Amino acid sequence: MSSIGTGYDVSVSTYSPDGRVFQVEYAGKAVENSGTAIGICVKDGVVLAVEKLIQSKLLVPGANRRIQNVDRHIGIATAGLLADGRHIVKRAREEAQGWRDIYRQPIDGPGYHGTAVGKGRQVAKTEIEKLNLEGMTCREAVKHAARIIYNVHDDAKDKEFELELSWICEESNGFHQAVPKDLAEEAEQLAK
Amino acid sequence: MFRNQYDNDISTWSPQGRLHQIEYALEAVKQGSASVGLRSNTHVVLLALKRSSGELASHQQKLFRIDSHVGIAIAGLVSDARVLSNFMRTECMKSKMMYDRPIPGSRLVSLIGDKAQVNTQNYGRRPYGVGLLVGSYDEGTGPHLYECLPNANCLEYYAISIGAKSQSAKTYLEKFAKDFGEADLDALVMHGLHALRETLQQDKELNLNNCAIGIVGKDHDWELIEGDRLNGYLDRLETGASTTGATAAGDLVQGEAMDTTEL
Repeated sequence: MSSIGTGYDVSVSTYSPDGRVFQVEYAGKAVENSGTAIGICVKDGVVLAVEKLIQSKLLVPGANRRIQNVDRHIGIATAGLLADGRHIVKRAREEAQGWRDIYRQPIDGPGYHGTAVGKGRQVAKTEIEKLNLEGMTCREAVKHAARIIYNVHDDAKDKEFELELSWICEESNGFHQAVPKDLAEEAEQLAK
Repeated sequence: MFRNQYDNDISTWSPQGRLHQIEYALEAVKQGSASVGLRSNTHVVLLALKRSSGELASHQQKLFRIDSHVGIAIAGLVSDARVLSNFMRTECMKSKMMYDRPIPGSRLVSLIGDKAQVNTQNYGRRPYGVGLLVGSYDEGTGPHLYECLPNANCLEYYAISIGAKSQSAKTYLEKFAKDFGEADLDALVMHGLHALRETLQQDKELNLNNCAIGIVGKDHDWELIEGDRLNGYLDRLETGASTTGATAAGDLVQGEAMDTTEL
C-alpha cells in the first residue's frame, strides 16, 4: 500500500486528507526493514525468538541482546531501531514497577496467541497460524520458533544472522529467561 | 549527499523509515580522525590518531580515563565527548558509592545508550556528534570493548575502529581477529598499531606526537601511553616486528592518566 503523502507527511501532528498520519506509517517502515521477531503463546508458556542480522564479524556473539526483561515474568523482543526499543523497555519497566507499588502484585501480560514483526513477518505469521498452539508444549514451541526464524531468513538478500531465544514456562519457574543452551542448540540444529 | 525535505530535524521520518539527522550525526564521527579498539582474554587496548590543526598547534587528546577500570577513545565532536565523559565519570563514582563496586562496562554503556536515545526522539535536540570506543575490565567477566554511536546503539565487539578511513583498519582487524584472544599485551598493542597505521593518509606516518595508546585489563588499571613512552612500540612497528608476542620495551609502568582540563 503506497501513496505519496507529500505535504502532509513531515509532522506527526498532521493528518493527510484521507485520514492517515504518514509519519507514523514511515516509522513503521523502520520496523518492517528490521530482522524478524516472533512470539508464540502455547499450553504451558511463551517463547520469543529473534533473527539478529549480523552487521559485522567482529561483533561478540551472545552479546548485544534484542530480548530484554520487564519484571520477572515478562520479556520483550524488539524489531526496528534498537535504541528506541531499549527506551520502550525502560518505560515498560517503570510501568511494571509502578503497578507493583500500587497493587502489590505483578502486572498482567499481553494477550495474543502468536505474532511477528519485522522483515519476515508475513511468512512468519502464516507459519504460526499453521501450528496447533493450544496443544503444544514449550519445548516443542522452542523448536518451532527456531525453525520459523530460519525459514524467514532470506539467505540471498541478507547476511548471516544469530538466533536469540527466550521463554517463560514451568521449567523456568515462571521467570522470563534465555532458553537453556542445550535446548537452544538442539532447536537450532533441527531448524537448519 | 541526501538533501531532501525529510532531513531537517530529528523528529521526522523519511518515507523509507530513516532518520536522516542521525545519519548526518554519524557523518560527524566519520570526519573525526581514527580510533581503534581491540581486546584479548585479559586486556583491552584503545589507540588513536591525534590530529593537529597546524604546525604550531597541539594534537587533540583522544583517549580519556573514566575510572581505573574504564577508558574511552573518541572520534567526532570533542565537546560532545567531554559531556559524555563527565556523565560516565559521575556514574562510575555513583556506582562505587552506592554499591561499593566498580560499575560493569555493560551497565555503563547502557546508560550512555539511553542518554543518547533521548536526543534522537525529542524535537529541537540533536544527536551527540561523537563516537566512543569504551574499554573496560570487569572483575567477574573480564575485558569488554564497546562501540557507542550517535544512533544510540552500543554494541560489544572483539575489535572495532571508528573515524576517518576506519574501514581500512577494520579490514586489518577482521583479518587477524582470531589471534587477539590469546595474544599477550604486547602483541595486542602491535596489532592495534598496525590497524591504526592502515588509516593514515599517503605520505603520513605514526610518530610520538600523533598517536596514543590506552590499556586496561587484568591487574592493569587504565594506563595512557603517549609521547616518549611510545618509542619502543613505534620502533618495532618500523622494523616490522612480528605481532606474535615479544618482550616488552620496558615502558609498561603504571602512568598517570592525562589531565583533561585543558581542552
